Amino acid sequence: MITTQITTEEKGKAFKSQRKPEVIDKQKLNVRYHIEDFDVNDRPRRFLESFAAILKHSNYKIALDHFIRMSAKCSRCAVTCQVYQATGDLKDIPCYRTELLLKVYRRHFTVGGMLKGRLVGIGYLTDGDIQEMAESFWNCTACRRCVNDCPSGIDHGLVTHLGRYILSEIGIAPKALVVSTREQLEGATGNTSAIPLPALIDSLEFLEEEMFDEKTVHIKFPLDVKNADYVFFPAVSDFLMEADTLMGIAAVFTATGDSWTTGKGYFDGINYGLFYSDRILERVVKKIDVETRRLKGKNVLIGECGHASRTAKYYLPGYCGGKDALPVINIMEYTHKAWKEGKLKLDPNVIREKVAYHDPCNLARQKWIIDKPREILKSFCKNYIEMAPRGEDNICCGGGGGTVSIDEIRPYRTTIGGKLKADQIRNAGCEILVAPCANCKKQLKELVEDQGIECEVIGLHDLIYKAIIFDKSLIVENKEEEAKEEE
Amino acid sequence: MDQWLEFTRGPLFRLCFVIMILGLLRILILDFIGAVKLYRSVADKTIPWKLVLSRTLQWLFPIKKIGRSRPVYSVISILFHIGLLIVPIFLFAHVKLWESSVGTSWITLPFAAAYVLTLSTVAFGLLLFLGRVFNKSSSFISRKQDYIWPLLLLIPFLTGFICAHLNISPAFYSFTMLIHILTGNMIFVLIPFTKIAHCVLMPFSQIINTLAWKFPPDTDKAICKTLNKEGVPV
Repeated sequence: MITTQITTEEKGKAFKSQRKPEVIDKQKLNVRYHIEDFDVNDRPRRFLESFAAILKHSNYKIALDHFIRMSAKCSRCAVTCQVYQATGDLKDIPCYRTELLLKVYRRHFTVGGMLKGRLVGIGYLTDGDIQEMAESFWNCTACRRCVNDCPSGIDHGLVTHLGRYILSEIGIAPKALVVSTREQLEGATGNTSAIPLPALIDSLEFLEEEMFDEKTVHIKFPLDVKNADYVFFPAVSDFLMEADTLMGIAAVFTATGDSWTTGKGYFDGINYGLFYSDRILERVVKKIDVETRRLKGKNVLIGECGHASRTAKYYLPGYCGGKDALPVINIMEYTHKAWKEGKLKLDPNVIREKVAYHDPCNLARQKWIIDKPREILKSFCKNYIEMAPRGEDNICCGGGGGTVSIDEIRPYRTTIGGKLKADQIRNAGCEILVAPCANCKKQLKELVEDQGIECEVIGLHDLIYKAIIFDKSLIVENKEEEAKEEE
Repeated sequence: MDQWLEFTRGPLFRLCFVIMILGLLRILILDFIGAVKLYRSVADKTIPWKLVLSRTLQWLFPIKKIGRSRPVYSVISILFHIGLLIVPIFLFAHVKLWESSVGTSWITLPFAAAYVLTLSTVAFGLLLFLGRVFNKSSSFISRKQDYIWPLLLLIPFLTGFICAHLNISPAFYSFTMLIHILTGNMIFVLIPFTKIAHCVLMPFSQIINTLAWKFPPDTDKAICKTLNKEGVPV
């Protein structure tokens, strides 16, 4: 996939900061994302203390030692990185970004580096280094595509993840993520979108009525059901912005007849910890475990969301009981199984547009979910087309790594981060782009809008909802009479 | 000169070779201990062995990776590595030296193959060096050792070729051979302490990465305690 670099004019627009100069002066940090006020004094020392604390209580040291011995600087990652391909700025090469943190580690946490540093008297971490890291680590979409092209096997995504984590410990993290997480962990509503429970219940009742009107089937969103097979955690923003996806999921469960529920105590799959702090990651994952066990649910079911699925799938066992942890599945795995078993019937005459599938990085990079949604789509979309590259080599939507939630950097995301994806969508000529991830969906909708591409971005279950064929026994014959009876 | 030659290919070679072996063993053991420690500290013990193994093999035999990124560079790099590994290990003269000192020998390269491989390795090494100098993304991220290594590796190849294939005076032969052995010895010593350590560490990158993404439990409390952040809001 070849792309062209952006023009100087586009670059100016993409990098334009919305932050006021007085805030930049006050915080002594010139980055494009908003940051809550933090202690600006003595940052290098506090950065190193945080780095030391994290190294002491985690396993990053082993990986960092491996990386500093291995790095061959071949620059293959430069070709793979969609940010560098768009900007042409050498500082966007993944290997350069990784070196920003590795040189701090080498200088301050290895014997050789400390000796050399003291002898030569150079290399001590400065405010300038912190400024560069704060900017660089959030230019990256954390898609980890470069990892697949590094012969040395250096995981640039892991280093960026760690760099953001250390920065967050000294107060440098995007305000959008911090505020949402605070509401999720310490706020009254307990979720990142600050949806009060009564509002959620109202929304779901409204959706149930709408689905009955459309399908004449009683499709329910069961709430707080004990002993359900599946306890459902979508990206909570879906309740506000992706109702069609949720309706599709409810429709699938109505067709299969399996028991599922959404908990009233906690119903948010989003975990911004993956993007900036392992401490947050752990606390949020534990909330999912607590809620599922409160309801005595058998499985954790994550909705159409890449990072929510990855955090639950890979960190629930790590933080909540190892091999005794609750099983985690993504909704597409469930739907695929139901479809394979013949419990889900889809009308092949409903969707006639050209449909393509976008792989969310958090589902595809580790080869977790790649073919299952495609098999479902091909079964009922007559004009399904494949985009290349795909699967584990997919191109990121451009809003990965939490950047999609930072609204003030939208011009950056849709001009630089998503440039390669926009070119891919344009070349494919698809009319419908299926993106089974809340983050990808938001980013891709903004991307096609800003780039002027005629393409509708929706979830997999949005399409399933349109094409689903219910068993006759589920269809209410005389809808009006039943409605009157209910009244 | 003869005494110098005897010393450099005798005691000095043995010392340098032992330093290399011990140095590589050290980093291998450190990597292994690290991986075991990592595995023990995490609660999630599942490892996608199939994926780890397939990705490791894909990089050990990177034929499929050629076309993905920088194809010309990748082909040159692969051919360079082939010559770099095969010539020193299977060269007839080297095998004979091993046989005379430790009594063990193995198959050797035919004369013509050694000739071609030596020259091609020199050529590919030079191309890699030039690529590093003139490719703007490569040169931007390069350190001193990244420029020095291709050139340093070429010296024993070039001097070895001169000694083996060119008709030169005995004095020049001895001098060239001395350079050949000295640079070879120097390379042995430097391998474990520079990026060339990837010759033994590379097969472990995928498993280290997989394990590194598994985080140990309860770090939240421990880090908060260390940084005096207990009870501090998000």
